[in-house]
Amino acid sequence: MLKGIAASEGIGIGKVVCIRPQKITYEQRPVIGVHKEMDRLHGAVEEFVRKTNELADKMEKSVNPKEARIIRGHVTMMSDPIMVSQMDELIKKDNKCAEAAAETVLDMFGNMFRSADDELTRQRATDVEDIKARLLKILIGIEDINLKDLPAGSVIVTEDLTPSMTAELDKENVAAIVTEKGGMTSHSAILSRALEIPAVLSVMGAMGTLKDGSNVIVDGIHGEVINEPTMDQNEQYRKAGVEYIEEKRQLQAFTGRDTVTADGVAKQVFCNIGNPKDGIVARDKDGEGVGLFRTEFLFMDRDSMPGEDEQFEAYKKVCDTLPGKTVIIRTLDVGGDKEIPYMNLVKEDNPFLGFRAVRYCLKNKKSYRLQLRALIRANQAAGGNLWIMVPMVASADEIIKVKQLIKEICQEEDLPEPKTGTMIETPAACMMADVLAEHCDFFSIGTNDLTQYIMAADRGNSDVAYLYNTYDPAVLRALKMIISAGKQAGIPVGMCGEAAADPMLIPILISFGLEEFSVSPTSVLKTRREISRWTVAEADKITDKVMRLETASEVRKYLEEVRK
Amino acid sequence: MVTKTIKVTNSQGFHMRPATVFVNEMAKFSSDVKIIFNGTEVNGKSLMNLIAACIKFGAEIELRCDGDDEEAALAKAVELISSGLGEE
Repeated sequence: MLKGIAASEGIGIGKVVCIRPQKITYEQRPVIGVHKEMDRLHGAVEEFVRKTNELADKMEKSVNPKEARIIRGHVTMMSDPIMVSQMDELIKKDNKCAEAAAETVLDMFGNMFRSADDELTRQRATDVEDIKARLLKILIGIEDINLKDLPAGSVIVTEDLTPSMTAELDKENVAAIVTEKGGMTSHSAILSRALEIPAVLSVMGAMGTLKDGSNVIVDGIHGEVINEPTMDQNEQYRKAGVEYIEEKRQLQAFTGRDTVTADGVAKQVFCNIGNPKDGIVARDKDGEGVGLFRTEFLFMDRDSMPGEDEQFEAYKKVCDTLPGKTVIIRTLDVGGDKEIPYMNLVKEDNPFLGFRAVRYCLKNKKSYRLQLRALIRANQAAGGNLWIMVPMVASADEIIKVKQLIKEICQEEDLPEPKTGTMIETPAACMMADVLAEHCDFFSIGTNDLTQYIMAADRGNSDVAYLYNTYDPAVLRALKMIISAGKQAGIPVGMCGEAAADPMLIPILISFGLEEFSVSPTSVLKTRREISRWTVAEADKITDKVMRLETASEVRKYLEEVRK
Repeated sequence: MVTKTIKVTNSQGFHMRPATVFVNEMAKFSSDVKIIFNGTEVNGKSLMNLIAACIKFGAEIELRCDGDDEEAALAKAVELISSGLGEE
């Protein structure tokens, strides 16, 4: 069995079709007519631009616009007049042929990009490689590999898929894809997911081991490739493949549906996201809103604080992606395990109990006001569905101060006040939930931190990991307390920790009266299905029993028994 | 020749898209456009050279325009950079 990266889910069984990389070779020959050679180069550049634009047009329709944009970028790079004149110079001065001139100049840029000190520029080196290969093929006269006429049941085995190879790929004939290179964000991965073809990437030595025409199983769920499987394996994987498709079909049936319990009580399934682009994923995976947008990404991997306009654009973008839907944005949660160098946070012995999140923000009011102003402006610009969530609140005093800041900014700017709520994740906030509720428009429970604070067990320390358990009756009692306090005050209560997507906990959360479950985009449909399986009466019965249990292991055991 | 020193204020610096905006606009002028950054001279009309120069957010650069329409070219370059190079 070969191992690789599970880049596109599903199981494919078929026959290997090896696609070997094309050899791009040419002879260095002296140039007879300099102008003729330059014309040849310019002709090839024109041809490149024409073909690449065609390719981008096709990809816009068949794969996705983002991929097409990358390809359009190749046109822009190739159209750099200065670069082409550098190639001309080599033909004129060094008497190089067009191929050698193009290769020399593109290699030079490739090396410059590769040695750059930032990641974005280094990534562009891959584009330069791709451009070089395609331009040379045009000059030499090698046809691009085209995968449009594969026999049915083909398992493509290749070094790496390039956009030009796949633009006309017929997905009906491709059972699976195996490559030797590429990760989760490579072209091969994006393409196979968009076309829903099972794929395992970065399989070392795939081209050597898997022979043309041999039978192969590709398990894109676990990242495994089985060469020449036995009859038993074939049967086993065929079944697993059918089950996977059946599960997917069942989940598909929940797309576009309202989230309701079996007896018709309305709930909502939102998404947790980490950057504006994830908003698109949340929308595509049928999230009914965003329950947690972490803003840290905007502040990380840079040398200074992002400006107000940059933040405004990022916040507005998410709201615009999900028009009319609630988008809950958490203000900066710096500190704890999240370090941002330019903020000059001092190393602490106990960072999780230290200077983090709202504690930092209220001491650095200038930058906090900037973030709040960007949020307030984005709320107004995007139609008023942006909610501000304050993390790590331990005292009502903190939420009162934040609300005062928001009020001041709204008065200065003459803008409406967005809904403002607390992320409940400290034991103090839990004990004071009834008081906090008076000052908040909503609650969202962050179970990851809440669990570690209630149990006083560092979630990163394996020696105390046994204590870190959301099934612990102490944590369940806290959840009940928080949700009851919110309901008492008439404000909505959601949950944005991992517990919200745990099928075993869903009946308990239904019984407590949780309204909004915020989960990772890939868990939306599963969570909606799980909620639909329970009536409130059934959930109450189970919860009644659970709340009388004494330990986490008893709770887990019982929930496993009654799980649907 | 006219020159001006300016700070790059858009978050991505001279990356793919902002640099494309810049070279496309500069191509409309006949003057030479040079950017001096970290002691090296970069051709301001070449996308590839601009990307390779790795000019990031916060960098201080000197613009040098030389030719018949140098004043207009410099004014446009300054306007583009100070308005964030078309970044959203």
